[in-house]
Formats: sequence, C-alpha cells, structure tokens
Amino acid sequence: MDVALKIWRVDEDGERNLVSYEIEAPEWACLLDVLDIIKDRHDGTLAYRKSCRMMICGSCGMRLDGRAVLACKERMKPIVESGHVPVISPMGNLPIVRDLVVDMGPFWQKVRDVKPWLDPGYDEPSERERIVSQQQMNVINKEALCIMCGCCVSECNAMESDPDFRGPAALAKGMRFVGDARDQTSVERLNELNDEHGIWDCTRCYFCNERCPKGVDPRDAIAKLGAESVKEGIDWDMGAKHANWFVTSAKTTGWLRETELVPKTQGILSALKETKFALALARRGKVPPPGPIHVAADVDESRKLYNLVKEQGRDGALGIVQGERALARIEHVEAEGARRDAPEITPGEEPPVAEG
Amino acid sequence: MRAAIEAHDLGADVALLSKIHPVRSHSGAAEGGINAALGNASEDSPEEHAFDTVKGSDYLGDQDAIQILCDEAPGDVYQLEHWGAVFSRTDDGRIAQRPFGAAGAPRTAYAADITGHVLVHVLYEQVMKRDILTYEEFFAWKLVIDDDRCQGVIAWDLLNGGLKTIGAKTVVLATGGAGRLYTGTTNAYACTGDGMAMALRAGVPLKDMEMMQFHPTTLAPTGVLITEGCRGEGAYLLNSDEERFLKNYAPNAMELASRDVISRAEQVEIDEGRGVDGNVLLDLRHLGAEKILERLHGTRELSMTFAGVDPIYEPIPVRPGAHYHMGGVDTDHELGRTELEGLYAAGECACVSVHGANRLGGNALMETITYGRRAGAAAADWALTHTTVAVPPSVEADAERELKTLLDRSEGERPWQMRDELAKTMHENFGVFRRENQMKEQERIVGYLRERYERVVVDDKGAVFNNDLTQALELGFLLELAACMVVAGIERKESRGAHARPYDFPDRDDGNYMKHTSVRWVGDHPVLDWKPVTMTKWAPQERKY
Repeated sequence: MDVALKIWRVDEDGERNLVSYEIEAPEWACLLDVLDIIKDRHDGTLAYRKSCRMMICGSCGMRLDGRAVLACKERMKPIVESGHVPVISPMGNLPIVRDLVVDMGPFWQKVRDVKPWLDPGYDEPSERERIVSQQQMNVINKEALCIMCGCCVSECNAMESDPDFRGPAALAKGMRFVGDARDQTSVERLNELNDEHGIWDCTRCYFCNERCPKGVDPRDAIAKLGAESVKEGIDWDMGAKHANWFVTSAKTTGWLRETELVPKTQGILSALKETKFALALARRGKVPPPGPIHVAADVDESRKLYNLVKEQGRDGALGIVQGERALARIEHVEAEGARRDAPEITPGEEPPVAEG
Repeated sequence: MRAAIEAHDLGADVALLSKIHPVRSHSGAAEGGINAALGNASEDSPEEHAFDTVKGSDYLGDQDAIQILCDEAPGDVYQLEHWGAVFSRTDDGRIAQRPFGAAGAPRTAYAADITGHVLVHVLYEQVMKRDILTYEEFFAWKLVIDDDRCQGVIAWDLLNGGLKTIGAKTVVLATGGAGRLYTGTTNAYACTGDGMAMALRAGVPLKDMEMMQFHPTTLAPTGVLITEGCRGEGAYLLNSDEERFLKNYAPNAMELASRDVISRAEQVEIDEGRGVDGNVLLDLRHLGAEKILERLHGTRELSMTFAGVDPIYEPIPVRPGAHYHMGGVDTDHELGRTELEGLYAAGECACVSVHGANRLGGNALMETITYGRRAGAAAADWALTHTTVAVPPSVEADAERELKTLLDRSEGERPWQMRDELAKTMHENFGVFRRENQMKEQERIVGYLRERYERVVVDDKGAVFNNDLTQALELGFLLELAACMVVAGIERKESRGAHARPYDFPDRDDGNYMKHTSVRWVGDHPVLDWKPVTMTKWAPQERKY
C-alpha cells in the first residue's frame, strides 16, 4: 500500500520542519515499520527509538496526530484507507533531543522520586516465598503492567501547566507499592504522594487513561491513592477536603451544599479572600441560593449507599472501580465491522490481610 | 542487572551500561515463566529439573552447570519474590507454577503472561534502590584489552555523541541474543549479538553457535512471540485438517513436547501441504474466555493487534521462528568466566552451557538470574582483590580512527539491504532443517556480504542520537556471528536438538559428536575446534516425548 505521512523533524539546535513522505509499505505495516522503511530507503538521519516491536519494551512512544501512541501498535492500513495523512511528532511534556526522540531523564527522575521499590520491612528474607493471595495481588495487576513508555506523561494536562507535577506514570508506580500487601510503608508513601505537586494536582482529564497503550489506567491509580489517603486519615490537602465534603454533604442532607464547599475545602480565612469573586459570580446568577438548608426527600438512598461502602470495606482503593474493566475492554473489530465486546473480569473482592 | 546488583552488594563499585534503557531489554518480552523446582503445584525436585534439562539439551548441556542451575533456582526465585516480583499465586498463596514443554512437573513459575516484564522491572527497581550508576543508551562497541586482560569497554554515547572509554577491572557481558540474524524472529531489534561479537573479536571463543532455537509459536509475518504458556494452559496445535498433528510426532507429551520437536513437526506439516497459509493453528478456544483473560491477556492483545485474531473465538496462526541462541561466549560452569582475564558473560550471550542443543522453555530467565548472580559475584570478587585499571591511550585513538573512517565514507552501500539479505538467507539456508549444500551456499553468501560490508556507508553524520551509525555497527556484529554459526553447522554431521539434518545425518551420533563446537576468530575468518561435554550422572538415552 502507498503510505503518506508527515513527520516533525527537529535538529540538534531545535530547528523544526514538517516533512512529507510517501512510501510503499506492506499491508500489515505498523507506524514503526513505516518509519523503518523511511530510515532504510529514504533518509538514514531520521531518529526514533525502537526495540521489541511487540508493545512491551516501551521504547517507541510518539505522537500520531497529536495523540501519544506506541509506534509498533498503530496499524497504518485503516489510516491509509481513510485517505488521511497523519502527522507524527515527538511526545509532549518532555524535552526534545532530536526528531522523535525525547529526553526521558525528567520522566525517570519522577519515577525515582516515589521510591519505586518494595519495602518489605525486613532485611533478611525468610527461606521461602511470602504467602499472598491472588486477590491481594490483583489490587495492583494493572499498575504492574506499566512499561514506562511515557505516553501518559506526554498527554498529561496537569503537567503541562505544572511541570513539577509528579505525573501519571510515577503516581501509578506509587500505587503499585501502596497497593502491594507486602509493602510496609504504605502510610509514609501516601503522605509523600499527598505533597505539593502530588495526587490532588491531577485535573482528572482522563487523557492518561485514554491513551495508555497497555490499559494501566493511571488516573484510576491516582484515584485509588486519593481514596487510600482519605481512608488513612491523610486529608489535610484541599483536594482531600474537597472530596470529603462531597461525602459529608451527601450523607447528611442528601444534596451537595456548594456554598459551604469552598470554605470546607480552603478554610474560612482563605475562602473570605474569594468574597469578591463569589459576589461577581452571584451577580451573574451563577451561585445557587445558600439556603434554606433542608434534607433531601430521598436522603435514605444516599445514606444506604454510604453504609454499603463502609460495610464492604470499599472506602479505600477497592471503591475505585470506574476503569477496572479496562483489561477486558479491548474490543475486536471484525472484517464486517461488527464489534465484539470481550467478557468482563469482575473486580477483586476485599483482600485478606497478608501473612508471612 | 542481576550481576550488577550482586556485585554492588558485595562492595564493588559498579556501573551498568546498556544501549537501550535497562527496562527496554528484551528479557521483558519473555512471557511464559521461570523454572525452579519449588514444588508448589506438585511434587518436584532440583534433581528432576536437572534431568529434564539434560534430556532437553539432547545431552549437549554440561551436567555440572545444569546441576548448579537447578539446585540454586528455587532460592533465586524466592529472592525475586522478596524483592517484590508480582508472581501469580496458587489458591494457598504460594508462587503459581504451570506445566511447560518437556518438563516432568509443573515447574514454571509465572506472572500471568508477562513474567519477563515483571522480572525486568523488579530488577530495575532494585538497581534504583541501590542507586547503581547507569550509562543509559551507551552502545558498547569494543572491549578494552591490555596486558592480556579485559579492562573496560569503548562505547558510543547515543544521546550526546562521541566515543567514551569506561575503564573497569572486570566486565560482565549480558547483551542477549542475535535473533536479528533471521527474518522471522521473536527477538527485538536490539538483539544483534553485540557481546558475542565483541568477545569474538577479543579472541574469546564462541561455543555451540550452530544451536539456534526455533520457537514453535510465533505470529506471521514478523515473528512476534506467542508464549508456550498457552500450551502450558492446555492449548492445541492443529493442522489444516483441524487435527492435533503432534500425535504423529510426540504421542505422549503432545503439545508439551520440547520446542525443537514441535518446531520440526510444524515445519513438516507446513512443507507437506497441511498448513494454513504457511502456518499451523494454535487453538485456545476450549480454554474459555475467563482463563484467557486472566492468564493469557497479553497473548490475546498481541494476536488481536498483530494478526487481527481474537483467540477467544478463533485459533491463532503460528509458525516456527528464530527465538533463542543456545550458543554464545564460552564460559566456565561455575563463575561465568571466559578465558580472557576480567571478562565474564551471563544470560543468552553466554554459553555455560546449560541448554546444550535445545533449551527448555522457562530455563532462560532462570539462567539469567542464577548465572547473572554468579558472574556478578565472581567479577566483584576479582575486582576487589586486584589492582587498578590503566587504559592505554592508543586503544582509544585506534577506535576513534576506525570510527572516523566509517563516518567519513560517503560512497558505498547502506546497511539495510545487506541486513535483509542476511536475515532472509539465514532463514532459508540455516533454519529448522539444514542441508549440506544450503549451509555451504550460506557460507558463501555470508562471505560475500562481509565483502560488501567493507564499503558500508552511514547516512547520518551527526553526533546526537545517531542510531544510523549504531545499526551499521550491529550489522558488522551479525555478519561475523553468522560466519561462526555456518562453520559449526557444516561440521556437526549429525542431528541433535536444534541442529536437524534429516537428509544426510538424521540421527544423533554420540560416538563422534557429543562435544561442543568452539569457534575462534583468527585473522579474518572463523576457525572451528571441539570441546568435551561434561557428563556427571546422566548417560545419554534416546529422546522421546
């Protein structure tokens, strides 16, 4: 098939050029195969990383039409058939070295910052393995899939405005240890991850979930870290207070008391400073009337839900189930265009306490 | 990484050097698992593990080395678990183990179908914990040899450009295999046999280089690996008549016979017209969606992405593809030591030899860990008890000059065509089945390609991330390794393990060939010699599955 695409070429001095290519490639070619053909037969100076070409090494993260992908995973045939000419560029939020190669140094520094190794609480291991149930391990099975390709970091909106934000990959790695029944430092880890630039700075745009090529769902990992933090009483951050007020409000009156949300989140003093802004909002009719404070007619529903979560012990990470089915969610499009949904895996139950 | 961790813990000053970031290493693509006689799924013992490995090796493995591996494997797996490896678990919370080919017991510990990925990451976590200095994206090109010992490496710094010399009292090669010698291979682009070729050029012999394993289940067209774990979980292999054809080749073990046996059976079915578009079919459907999703999720993802087939509903088309080099840098059976003082090797680039003529699935990861640890300890021990390193300036100057000649050349042939021709012809002439005339033809082709390589030209003359240069250097490595393989293959006039000559020497010949090939580079060509196999307690038997 004839493939046309454009590549942002960036030289050593940062000079950028959008270059068009038209090449012949086999029907089965992925984006990576196309880049290889260009490098072999047309221009040996094209720089990009590659290794396994089977979605496990994490080398070939780049952007296709502004969206982070693994080049080895993207089939070119549907794009060619649509007649679209895609634009290939390096990943975002990381310094460009040359062409499609970015400097992964800042990425790895953030990973290192979460102390990404198991702290088992002892120096000398016992003679055999520790006894841990499969259910306990299931808590982190998605986080353990991460191949550190950087696609999530490339897409992270929070990191774009705050380059110091820990970012989705490092936080998912953090959850990989917080959720590991064998790790003895979960509370210390949670305290650290609650810091400035930590979990509550995530803007919940869900781009990391959407674009992770492995179904790790980093945003879910961040949500789990938030839920675990609140469960452990680590709720001094405004983000945690904000979330807590939603719960309190729903439990007590059955509706969200927005007027109280700001002081409950920021504290009264800080909230007072926002008075002028609040008045301006009110003038334009954007503030709901503060009262009268009443109890919603069906508040029992919301209280029952609250109690159910408590009873089932789902007030931590286990309560975060929004993307839990991602592993089974890969759809398969058949020749006729019919979609088949895969059967779903049910999220794990409450894990028993680790032994050994 | 396992060697670096061990050497660090013993007090040595260690650096890791890798042409790709350590977590990008191809060990991460190992799917099925790691063999150790833990006895978690049924009765098992290191003794049985050793026997299966000896038999699997078609009696070319050194039995003293195999014994060490099998005895120490359980402890090493427990250590990985304590470091945090996310193994799959049994109902009683122990490390889960599944059956694998040619194993007498379910011995393969696993983490779903991403075992290698999990182990590479746990090792890198331990490297980060120890803050071991890592030269990331440094392409090792030459060993520094002075005073008859290895004193470091010369590497091309990919990110910044330029040759860098890193002096070291000891060097452990752990550079993996050379699957890129073949068109259809499970191996990554990075698997170009760099360490083997560097050792060869330093005068160190390579052992059993004719022994290239073909994995029975790789995806067309590129050879992406479909794990043996599928068959471990109960998948069938079918021909175009939907018949489980292994009943005609390995009636007892069926799909769990050893890899060489199954690859040959598949090739016969395909050659005799009972294939499906040059493939046979791997059928998982009867395993059910739940098992596939829980234990073979990665396999499903791969076959959907690369073959457009969902194994829950359809069988996967597979065929044999180059997978693992049993041969490699000749080391001793205890410490991973080569004959060059200061140089060690471990993992696929080494030939200890625990795999002999055919490796069992799950033994490769185990060898990287056990012999990685042993080589790391030995290298640390030597470094801590010997004097300093002095790299003579002439070594660097010579390398600089050689590189300049290559980069200054503007007329000649770019590497890709030679690379593709090499891979295609190796597949045709030195594949699952080998014929004398084809091997001789391949010897000629490799010679011709090596002549053409003299005029290889690099497009990219820049310093920053010039992998056009490193890919040209890799081709140079591959060509020399191919020459060694072909020489050894022609001279091994028997059929043993991965080396199958059904047309002229269909049987194993223990009288004449129960010995290792050993190839040394002399002048500008490979010279073959032989080395005895170490036997301890297992006398050769006929190999049936």
